[in-house]
Amino acid sequence: MSNLSLTAQSALGGIRRDFEGVSLAEVGGHALVSVATPLGGGERLAKAIASSYGAKLPTVGYSSLSDNGRARFLGLQPDQMFLLFEHEDDEALAAVTGQLGDAGYYTDQSDSWAMLRISGPAGRTALERICMLDLHPDSFDIDAVARTTMEHLGVIILREAADSFLLMSPRSSATSFLHAIETSIINVTE
Amino acid sequence: MIINHPLLGPRDAAEFTYLGDATLINRPDWQAEDAAGKFHEYLYLRDNPAGEHRELWFHEQGDRSWLVVTRNTLTHEITKVELARDVALAAGRDK
Repeated sequence: MSNLSLTAQSALGGIRRDFEGVSLAEVGGHALVSVATPLGGGERLAKAIASSYGAKLPTVGYSSLSDNGRARFLGLQPDQMFLLFEHEDDEALAAVTGQLGDAGYYTDQSDSWAMLRISGPAGRTALERICMLDLHPDSFDIDAVARTTMEHLGVIILREAADSFLLMSPRSSATSFLHAIETSIINVTE
Repeated sequence: MIINHPLLGPRDAAEFTYLGDATLINRPDWQAEDAAGKFHEYLYLRDNPAGEHRELWFHEQGDRSWLVVTRNTLTHEITKVELARDVALAAGRDK
């Protein structure tokens, strides 16, 4: 029997491009797991998250960081959130179950999403041309998260810092998404 | 058209898909004696008002919530947006 050894490839080949005032880079080394709240199990899940990750249950529209800063709960909708955390191998579910036990329902989403970080002072200018949400800090603050569309593609957008956004889009259309973002950056920087 | 989502704030209608009349929430009891008649009414009989209309919208490109939107079919003015879950709970549903 042959002994195959496969090497995982990221959705966008680890792309990194720097423009005048904007940097665009694929984010690797993370896992993404959907955590759904069992019916009537909200309090138990909140306690499990507080004791294992030291994080609050996020409200819809916001994210909360774990106490070591390596995991982030994204409050995307009532009774369901995404857990984004630093993780290398493909056993993401085991890592979450090890922390939270059976307090939630988990689905591994890690390989389904391409992740891009857009940062720099002109990043918001590039995004506001293709994002329907108001990204001004008054309405989309640090740690805010939302699910929306850009160029007709589904996107989760998270504000990590004043001028740094994490964008997640389905892997199957990742190169189209990258093209949309790059085009918008070029339009405002060149 | 902008739909003012109760949790997320104003969102473009392009993020939503439309289902139909909000009475679709009230699915009849399939075990009742008159179930056939009730399901006929549920599926086929609709008011078609020129004016205020309560309807179901799904936030597909957002938080995946079902909303009950009160919209004027003549002006497209939206006067009320509620989570369908809250509407169902207020109507006595248990979950």
